Amino acid sequence: MIRAMPIVALTLRSLVDRRRFWLMVLLAAVPVLMAIVSSAFGGDLFSRRIFDQLIVRTVLPLIALVFGTAALGTELEDGTIVFLLTKPIRRFRIVLAKGVVAAGLTAALIVPATVLTGLVATSQHASLVSSTVAYAMAAAVGGTAYALGFLALSSFTSRALAIGLGYVLLWEGVLSGLFEGTRVFSVRQATLGLAEMLQRGDDADRTIGGLTSVVVLGVVIVGSLALATWRLSRYQLRGGD
Amino acid sequence: MTASGSGGSIYDLGYRGYEGPRLGRGAAVAALLTHSVRTAYGLGRSARSKVMPVGLVLLAVLPSLLALGIIALVAQIGPAGEAIEAISPIRYSTLFPFIAVLVFLFSASQAPELFGRDQRAGVLPLYFSRATSRLDYAGARTLGLLVSLLVLVLSPQLLLLVGRVLVAADPVAGLAEELPELPALLVVGLLVVTLVGTVSSATAALTPRRSYATVAIIGIFLIPNIASALLVELETGLLGQMAVLLSPADVLDGVNAYFFGVSPDNQTVAQAGLPGWSYPVAAGAWIIGSLAVLARRYQRIEA
Amino acid sequence: MPPPVAPPPPVAPPLPAPLAPPLAPPVRGPSAVVEVEHASRWYGNVVAVNDISFAVGPGVTGLLGPNGAGKTTLLHMAAGLLAPSAGEVRVGGQQTWRNPGIYRQVGLVPEREAVYPFLTGREFALVNAREHGLADPDAAAERAIDLVDLADAADRRIGTYSKGMRQRIKMAAALVHDPPVLILDEPFNGMDPRQRLHMFELLQRMADEGRTVLLSSHILEEVERIAASVLVIYAGRLAASGDFRSIRRLMTDRPHEFFVRSSDDRRLGSVLLTEQSVFGVELDPKGLLVRTSDFGRFTRRMPQVAREAGIRLLELTPTDDSLESVFAYLVGR
Repeated sequence: MIRAMPIVALTLRSLVDRRRFWLMVLLAAVPVLMAIVSSAFGGDLFSRRIFDQLIVRTVLPLIALVFGTAALGTELEDGTIVFLLTKPIRRFRIVLAKGVVAAGLTAALIVPATVLTGLVATSQHASLVSSTVAYAMAAAVGGTAYALGFLALSSFTSRALAIGLGYVLLWEGVLSGLFEGTRVFSVRQATLGLAEMLQRGDDADRTIGGLTSVVVLGVVIVGSLALATWRLSRYQLRGGD
Repeated sequence: MTASGSGGSIYDLGYRGYEGPRLGRGAAVAALLTHSVRTAYGLGRSARSKVMPVGLVLLAVLPSLLALGIIALVAQIGPAGEAIEAISPIRYSTLFPFIAVLVFLFSASQAPELFGRDQRAGVLPLYFSRATSRLDYAGARTLGLLVSLLVLVLSPQLLLLVGRVLVAADPVAGLAEELPELPALLVVGLLVVTLVGTVSSATAALTPRRSYATVAIIGIFLIPNIASALLVELETGLLGQMAVLLSPADVLDGVNAYFFGVSPDNQTVAQAGLPGWSYPVAAGAWIIGSLAVLARRYQRIEA
Repeated sequence: MPPPVAPPPPVAPPLPAPLAPPLAPPVRGPSAVVEVEHASRWYGNVVAVNDISFAVGPGVTGLLGPNGAGKTTLLHMAAGLLAPSAGEVRVGGQQTWRNPGIYRQVGLVPEREAVYPFLTGREFALVNAREHGLADPDAAAERAIDLVDLADAADRRIGTYSKGMRQRIKMAAALVHDPPVLILDEPFNGMDPRQRLHMFELLQRMADEGRTVLLSSHILEEVERIAASVLVIYAGRLAASGDFRSIRRLMTDRPHEFFVRSSDDRRLGSVLLTEQSVFGVELDPKGLLVRTSDFGRFTRRMPQVAREAGIRLLELTPTDDSLESVFAYLVGR
């Protein structure tokens, strides 16, 4: 694993060093700003909706999408992957290193955003503390699942960003809401389910139970790592010749 | 024919310069326009590049097909069925908001292809040294995106219209019944396409990296939408109204409601309390602003 | 009275016997050797590499061929970045495909210009050294940078480098772990003459240290200069292998065709048919097409023959002198 550590640093550097990172910080700041505005106008009902609708449904998948597809995708697109492939490092370690960065950056942005949002809201409504913690933890896990899933996707196609967007907006946004049975195929639902379980809430409008949520997220995380490793170990570099 | 000197020879390999008629600027722009539309739908490329655009068009016509199915059934059932049809959620006036996400997704996915690829490959100097000027290039590409979006946006509507006419007991009367909706349909369609197209083009033109552009475009349509929803619900008055006008997605909902003369489904727009005409005006402002950004970008881009 | 002539040498056959592989039998062990055994690679209907076999040992070996001949495909297979559709490719006795372990022995300088533009040269060398798990990555990186003569530019971002500098930093990355096998794909691309000279010296030094250096190029002069032995590849097939000079000789010893115009073509043609070096004469309305199996002998005899017959030569041009026709001939078309 020690040989893969420089890959962590390299990927981190390549993701943070750009405009893209600051755009994501801005994105993560949106819920916090909204919470501030909301409390300024005396509306405390919205904090829960902010967590659910804004953070989990929009900001979280978008940030995970950007970092997840960029971590491996830019190397594949630019061709710099050759410098990683020609090292005596197991492909799984390469994938893990990049996955750690993608998931880590996602969590690093989303958890403070959630916590800050909750803090602002809690000034109005004390009972939201448990909600905040629950959502922060669920967002971290859900963000990891998203990021790794998109990373695996980017190992298969150069259009991973657009396809990932389609998944988030169309599948998770609309289609899986139409058919109850398909809710298990939605990372969003799993994240929400996990949050529900963690705060022991009584909002029973989720059809995904806590245990199912954990399983779904676990499957996505492990499966994504496996898929990306499989794909990378068979990745072939054609020449221009 | 060989030209020989004392040291060497130049062989005539049959190379000829082109002395024939040149079609000029209009034809060049038209060619670029056609090429842009083809690129947007992945025509002339591998199947993979067709997946997103064609898939989105299919999804867009799906509600219309469903509605037609309902109507056909209703026609069988008779008068009781007409009540059902009246409450069917899929009508001309509701179609645009229904498929809005698909339109955003299409342009977020394809606009970067149209504008980012040339920047990345560094072929802009080639384009600018032809009959087309810098603005011609930008205009042709944008128009290409608009035409592509028009197909996406109008297909469901036209399908619904044609279907309804065919299903009606008397096609001619049916046509007469549907025709009044046509102007609103076309105007809203054009406005939607122009707004989404120009905003996406301007955004995509700003960066050669396609992934940045995709995220930025989706962000422009999604984030202000949520912000305005929040601000309006909080009853912040002027702040909420400004937020609504600054959110292209909401502006489009407002435009749709205004021209079809219905009350908007979108809660935010309904509650904002802005006069109906402010939405088309805002749409116009967004369009002009985007075109200005686009023009400036291509006037100043290094090539 | 003509001076006594030596008995004529044996007639060269129209087609030379196929070249026997002149390289040493494969050496197993740490001094790694690149072995390619009946390797082929196809993409659907397109065959990029067609049943190629060879073994390459210490020293500089040049892979020569026109663009599109399959050089990069072959090198990528040797470097474990492409799977052979058929056959085997080994380095140091181990399969190259799906075997990251070989990269301890192999360094690759890819052709593609991909770099991390946000890293400085030094950081790039360092990252590569660390990824190899070297005991002292800093020292290794410094050494590699000095080897490629980039010490003054090492603290600039690679994004600001010229093409030749990028080639060199890629070289440094490939050398950082001191590999016994170096594979370079068109390494002299974009280098000015001085840089190229430096690179020649470097590669020669590597080879003298006992390393196996396998490089590709489509420029004859470069390969001629640096490679002790040469593999000629054309349209995916191995057209020739071995010592450069003997291949050169064989290329000139192949059958040649000349176009001749003279004051009396018909008579010249019949006289030429009596020559030993000529095996075919064709009468063409514009002149004479002469086919010869012995280039050297023919060019000596031709003016003598013409003078003896009292015919004036007006034009003598080789008709198949291109590298393409050489390759085509070598591949046995």
